[in-house]
Formats: sequence, C-alpha cells, structure tokens
Amino acid sequence: MEVKLHDIGEGMTEADINCFLVKPGDAVKADDPLVEVQTDKMTAEIPAPRAGIIKEFKVEPGDTITVGTTILILEAAGHDGIEKVKVTSHPANSPKLHEPLESFAAFKGKRVLASPFTRKIARENSIDIENITGTGPAGRILDEDIYQYLASSQSKPDPVKQKQAVVTETLINPPADKEIIPFRGRRKQIARKMAQSLSIIPHCTHFEEIDVTGLITFRKDLKILNQNISATAFFLKALSICLKEFPVFNAVLHEEKEEIHLASEHHIGIAVDTDEGLIVPVIKHVENKTIREIHAEMKQLTEKAVGNKLSVKEISGGTFTVSNVGPLGGSFGATPIIQHPQTALVSFHKTKKMPVVTDDDQIVIRSMMNISMSFDHRVADGATAVGFTNRFAELIQNPKMLVLEMV
Amino acid sequence: MVVGELAHECDVIIIGGGPGGYHAAIRAAQLGRSVTLVEQDQLGGICLNKGCIPSKILTQSAEKFTSFQEGENWGLEGGGISFNLNKLQQYKQQKIEQLRAGVEALCQANKIEILNGSAFFLSEDKVGVEKGDKFDVFRFRNAIIATGGTPEKPPWARELSELVFDQHSISDLSEIPEKLLIYGSDYIALEIGMAFQALGSKVTMILDDGKEDFDFDQSICRELKRILKKKKIDIVKNSEVLELQHKEDMFTVTFELKGKIETISGTHLFVSTTIRPNTNQLGLSRIGVEQCAAGFIKVDAQSRTTQKHIFAVGDVTEGPALAVKAIKQGKTAAEAIAGIQSQSDFHFIPIVAHTQPPIASAGLTEKEAINMGNDIEIGQFSMSANGFSTLAGKKEGFIKVISCKEKQVLLGIHMVGTGAIELISAGITALEMAARDEDLIFPNYPHPSINEGLLEAVEALRNQAIHIPPKSKNEQKLKV
Repeated sequence: MEVKLHDIGEGMTEADINCFLVKPGDAVKADDPLVEVQTDKMTAEIPAPRAGIIKEFKVEPGDTITVGTTILILEAAGHDGIEKVKVTSHPANSPKLHEPLESFAAFKGKRVLASPFTRKIARENSIDIENITGTGPAGRILDEDIYQYLASSQSKPDPVKQKQAVVTETLINPPADKEIIPFRGRRKQIARKMAQSLSIIPHCTHFEEIDVTGLITFRKDLKILNQNISATAFFLKALSICLKEFPVFNAVLHEEKEEIHLASEHHIGIAVDTDEGLIVPVIKHVENKTIREIHAEMKQLTEKAVGNKLSVKEISGGTFTVSNVGPLGGSFGATPIIQHPQTALVSFHKTKKMPVVTDDDQIVIRSMMNISMSFDHRVADGATAVGFTNRFAELIQNPKMLVLEMV
Repeated sequence: MVVGELAHECDVIIIGGGPGGYHAAIRAAQLGRSVTLVEQDQLGGICLNKGCIPSKILTQSAEKFTSFQEGENWGLEGGGISFNLNKLQQYKQQKIEQLRAGVEALCQANKIEILNGSAFFLSEDKVGVEKGDKFDVFRFRNAIIATGGTPEKPPWARELSELVFDQHSISDLSEIPEKLLIYGSDYIALEIGMAFQALGSKVTMILDDGKEDFDFDQSICRELKRILKKKKIDIVKNSEVLELQHKEDMFTVTFELKGKIETISGTHLFVSTTIRPNTNQLGLSRIGVEQCAAGFIKVDAQSRTTQKHIFAVGDVTEGPALAVKAIKQGKTAAEAIAGIQSQSDFHFIPIVAHTQPPIASAGLTEKEAINMGNDIEIGQFSMSANGFSTLAGKKEGFIKVISCKEKQVLLGIHMVGTGAIELISAGITALEMAARDEDLIFPNYPHPSINEGLLEAVEALRNQAIHIPPKSKNEQKLKV
C-alpha cells in the first residue's frame, strides 16, 4: 500500500520531510513511526498504518510535499492481512494517522471548545466551527461568536443601530441619583496616581490623524490566512519601532539627579477598562516580540484584567502606556494623563470613514483614526513628538513597512 | 437468481437490526421517513443477543455472587451460597427476549417494516432480499448499512476455531471453566476474566499482540494490575503466541517470552481480538461504496459513504467496535437523510469495563494529553477517602482528572471503582461542554455519595480536596 501524507491537523496543506526513521527492507508494526515531517506549526511522526515491510521511498528528506503525496510504499507482511481493530479508544499514537477515514481520522485530533448546542448552531448554518475564534472563557466558542461570524460574513452590522441600542440602554437604566460610590480601592488608587502625575508633569498633548485603511486591508488579508490579529497588536509593534528611534519617550526623568534615563526595553502598558475601573497590565519586551506574540499576550492580560486576576508583576514595570478607546466609540481626541514616572502615553480613538483629499485632488473615502499623545514637556519637545507620531503614522498607513523593521 | 421482477418501492432501507440499525430506523421514522429494516437473524443484533447484554448478565451475576459472599458484614446470615449456571442461562434468555420484544414493539409503533432475510446491493438504488426460496427487490432512496462485524481469531487459533470461545459464544457456556485462558487485553477480556474468576475459575490472561500493558490511562493500568494480582489472575505480557494444541480436553498455548519458549494449559480458551466487518456478501464494489484496506466502509462524520445516498454505521465502519458508536452513527445517519446537519463526534466516547471494580474512561489519557503538547495538571482522588464507598465496603479505586494547565479546560477523566460507569456520564457532559475545573467544583453534590469522589478529584487539581491531607513540606519541596 502507499503511505501518504495526511492532514495531521491544524488544516495543514504541506509539510517538509525531515528524515526517515526506517529504511527499505525494514519490517514494521502498525503504529511504528516511519518518517518525521515538519509543518509550519509542528514536527510530527507519520506512523505505519499497518504492519508490513518498507518497499521503497517516494520522496527524499528535504522535499516539501503536499497532503496526499505518497511518501513510501509499504508491502503487506503476509500474515493475515487484516488490520487489527483496537477495541479501545486509546491507541498508542494519534489515530489521525490511520487509514484515511474522515470520521475516525478526526477522532482525537482537534477538539472544538464549544458546547454541543453551539456546535449544532454552527452546523445548521453551514459554518465550519474551526474557523471561529471563541471569545468565551478559555477561548470557548459561544453562540454569539457564531451569530457574529454569520453577521460579518453576510452583511456588515449597522454601526448607527448599534450605537442607538447602547444609548437606549443607558436611558432605560438611568443612574440612581442618590447612589453613593465608595471612594476606596482601585478608584482611590487611580485618583491618587492621576493627581500625582498632573501635579508633577507638565503635560503637553499632541493630536494626529492617521489613515488606517491599509492596516484594515492588511488585517483582512491575514484573516483569510486564519491569522486574526488585533489592530492594537500592530500599534504596539509600530510604537516599539518608534520608541527605538525616539527613545526619549521611553524614559524616566530623575530631576534631583539631573538625569534622563532612557530605557532600552519597551514594557508597554495597556489601559483596560474594567467594572472596577482602569487597570494597566504591561506587556514586557515588546521590542523582542512578534506581533502575534503581542496579540496573544495582550488577549491573555486583558482577560485577566477583566476577571480581576492580574498579579502585581503583571501591572508593574511599564515604560510607556497606550490606551485604546476606539472600541468604546465616540471620542475623537483626549488629553490623557501620563503614568508617572513615564514620559509619554498614546490614546487611539475611534476609526471613522472620512472623505479625504488625495495628493491628486481626488476625494476618496478612507478609514481615519485620531491619536492623542501626551508627553512630559520637561523631557521632550513638541517637534520630537511630531516626529514620533509621523513615523508611527507612516508605519500604520502602510503596514508593509513593519516588515522592514523585523529583527 | 431472478432479477427481472418488479421492484418494491421503498424510502429508507436499513440492512441490519442491531443497535446501529434499529436506532437509525426509529430516528428516521420519527423524522417522517418511511423505513424498511432487513434483519437476517434477530432484532437487537450482536449487542442484545450475543454481546453487551448477555455478557453484562454474566458480570452482574458475578458481582452479586461476590457481594453475597460479603453478606455477613451486613448481618446477612444463611447457608453457603452456590452458583447455578443453568438457572442464570434461563434468566439471561428471559431478559434477552424481554428486551427484544421491547425493540420489536418500538419498531412496530414507529411503523417500521421489518423483513427477515439477507440483503445485498443489486445496483446503486436496488437491494435484493433473500429468504429461503423467496427473493424480493427493493428500490430505495436512501440505504443504511448496519451489518456489524464478526470476531476473528488470531492465525494460531484458527485450526481449532470451533473449540475456542469468542465474544459471541462465551456467554453460552454451560459450565464454569476450571482453568480459563484468555487471550486479549480489551474491556471484554477483562470482564470475562474477572467474572469467571469470581464464579470460581482459575484465570490467566495473555495480553494480545505482545502487549506490555492494558490500553487504559497509566494510573488505571497500575491499579488494574494490582487488583488482578489480588484476585490471583495471572498476566502474561510481552509474549508471542506460537502454537495452540488441544488434547484430552486441555488447551495448551505455546508462546515465546523473553527468548524462552513456554507453555500454559487450561480447560477453556477465550479470545478477544480483531473484529472483521461484515461486508463480503453486500456487493459493495459494484455500487461504488469504497472500503479501506481492512474492509471497513469509509464514511464521513455523518456516516455517509462514498455514495452520497448510502450510509454505513457501527462495526462495519472504522473505529472501536462499540454499540455506543453504532447508536450515535445510526441516529446521525438517519438525521442526515432527513436533511438535518447532524454529526458524530467521538472525542469523548466512553470506554467502560464492567469489571470488579468497574472501569470508566473518557477523553485523553495522561500520556495522550502530554503527547499532544498539553501542559497538564492532574487531580486524583482515592475512593478509600470517600464516605459512601467506605460504608459500602467498596473502597478500591480512584478518580483521575486531567486538565490543561493554561486554560484549566478538562481533557480527560478516568475512573476505577464502584459506580464509575454511572459517574463517567457527568465527566463526559463536562468534557463536551468544554468545562473547566470551576464548572465541576461549583455545583452541589449529593451526600453521601460516590459522586463526591468526582468533586474531590477536580478539587485535587487545586490541592483543595477536603479529604486529601496536605502534602508534607518535604513532598512539596520535591515537587518544586
């Protein structure tokens, strides 16, 4: 029989042959590893689907082959010719690699984290649930995720309607006017820090308008490749590049020593709004992380923040801060308060479609986002801040530029 | 063969009336399809007539026999207990007939037409049904193949095949074997071994295929071997059987173990290994229904074969030969035929053994979970610390829960101990719902009950099981 390369999960389409673990003439038992292959995601051993003798190789180490390509020829070893059926579900190796039977091929492979009811909704709407990113706890796919996916694949939701819905909700639940909120805990911490920062740092806020159309397209392209990366992850990477070029915004002023200490590591805090108020988990060493890593870490930290599970370590050590208020809607600018003793902070505001006049005097529709950058005017000047945001705008307007900065 | 006759028109034809076939038939009827079910022997198939049901009557009987022997602890006094196998056979026959009558009544109530005879495909839309001299042709819209499988003996046992017992014939024994040899390592081998040991046989198990161990999670295997040793059931592992002889009512198995030739003898030999799909007589090749090398019919997650309108369910398809799989596939196929987007998913198919004590398992074993690249945590709770198990005098066993360290999502649940088979359902539901530890820790559990064992096994993931003493400082240090 021909032993072929099967999809061993994660929707792989091709793999590289690393090495053979047998040689022609070898007798093998079912499940004995035959060959090691490498995909972009993992290294895997392809086991023998049945007992037999290796007759010949059809590929060579180093070859890149597609799913379905014959790897080698396995000759039946005489014997009874009947494949042993395991009566238990605990074969030594992944049964995915047995005979290419779709139902049992997927037997213990990729597990979908969704309740059976949710899975049924997906099936009934002819959606491959594996394409959906779960937003529930531990990445669980929720009913809403499926409906959202459906809505986004059919027609774009009407943002005006959504906004209206929010407005009505607040009207229905007006705040009770004599309610007392205890000014303790996190609220008090926030107040103390804000007051301290404003009293020490002479704030200067600089606004910029950035065309994010390119980034939106870029993210869409990535999504087709099953890479769902948030815009903020790109912003963080771009900021890190800018900080490398303008390290003065990644600095701490020691006034008494008459020194400005420039930090080489970029520990960027992300302001997260929670029920208890603002909290700022920190992604460490953004300068050394890929956009994908930043995305994953950000997601994890945000989840922890919302679940009130952040450790002290995870909210300290920041050298720069961002606040993404865009998803909350509304504002086109703000004068954010710097996290003392840091030097700067950037807020990202809502992306809106706007008529824009191009260089050749055409009016086109572009997706525009405002940013507000507050900085310590003792440490840096306006011109440097403009340089910083210009560079940032350049990287975001054409995200391909980010590639040039890859380490 | 007369094939010129007019074909009877039918809607859904199902070949085989075992659990897969009759579940498919009833579900299809519930969904408004008109169903014809062809069975060549008796409704209920292997499961009801020769497999699951008869073997569980045997294991239940062994369990009752054991508990009678422990009766004195409970203040039950009386003469010695003896075991009468003939009476058990009568009881078994009565129960099988009762259950079969139930299936027949259900089929009737669902207006399912039942034909007695053997069926085979004449073309892509025609099935012939033969019974004695009678031969009828049916033209169908959809067909479901549910013809099951037949146990196949290993090559060394084929010559004496008639004398060697398999899954289907062992329950018909008319005597308790004096010395029972078992070749196999699956749940059936374990059930038969433990049941006959309890009823008085001297049992030796030879693990099939030169296996080193059973196929359960490693902790279950360790406990299982301890229990077998206590019951004085010998295990031969890592061996290759070379020859079988039968002389003067004794079987002698010759095998190679660590380079040495050894023999073992017994009055009876039971073999539980391979299942061969029953496809030879169906004429599949002429209608384009593809089979894999071993003869199993290729199907997708809806049990659809390579012919879009023909489905196959149960032991004729790849995978473990378990009725639970056949039942699920049968219902899925019927729903797919009725246009519903159904799917079978066997990630969390339970594997159970009605042994003493019983074993139940669902999801990934510790080894599988690690091999799949999970960073895992393990919570384990010994049933000797459970109040109800203690009062019932059933302290053996434990519950083991495997979870993903990063997401706390449960990956697998393994149990050995009284109540395990009923309790595993809670675990399966949790696994299907993608539960995390808190989802099982939060609910209230009946007290006192074996259920609390599951709670404490999950709590043990957080080192918070109440009935597990804290680890000593030395142990903790070692762990770090």
